[in-house]
Amino acid sequence: MLQELSVETRFGKYLADDGAVVTLGDGLPGFERCRQFVVVTGPTLEPFHCLQGLDDSRPSFLTLDPRSVVDGYVTELPAADRERLDARADDSLLWLALVRLDGDRILVNLRAPVVINARRMVGLQLMAPESRYSTEHLLALD
Amino acid sequence: MLVFTRKLNEAIIIGDGIEIRVLRVGSDSVRIGVTAPSDVKVHRQEIYQLISAANASAATTEHTTLERAAERLRSKRSTPPA
Repeated sequence: MLQELSVETRFGKYLADDGAVVTLGDGLPGFERCRQFVVVTGPTLEPFHCLQGLDDSRPSFLTLDPRSVVDGYVTELPAADRERLDARADDSLLWLALVRLDGDRILVNLRAPVVINARRMVGLQLMAPESRYSTEHLLALD
Repeated sequence: MLVFTRKLNEAIIIGDGIEIRVLRVGSDSVRIGVTAPSDVKVHRQEIYQLISAANASAATTEHTTLERAAERLRSKRSTPPA
């Protein structure tokens, strides 16, 4: 049976399975030394998930599924990224767009989502040279 | 900084297996080909900086409004579109 892992985040304390640790081999730009992460959520946090770093400065990111932010969000992975994630056609990938709150505004980085292959527990941040999406997409609430 | 003068189709080699070649020279731009092992990440600098800055501001986001934002999103989802 899996042990539960208590995870301290900037947004509170949450529980994760200890098998839930995801490796982002390249880290995230600006946070390259943090490679191990967990994804957690809770009743007051949902539908946000927290991508919580376990190394170095232990960064905490709020995230949303980009497909819930924009209808028809294009989840396309370049072949090289599919290969790095060891993604098979039938793998379901977890897409996490990083979020910034600014007062009442919810700004979502649709341009560079983190993509995780849960079967392999590996992930990466998409760094496409061009994108139709913004790093600060304003989520429409009304 | 090491500075090289290269002609069209000339290259430099960095370390083990990284090659940078001049493919085309225009009046205000140069087309460069990079060959590197798959574990070496190659990015345009401005894109790396853009995403790095976005990550830094996401990691320091204020969260006094978090619970309210989460609540608003939940109620939005439970309301079917008109």
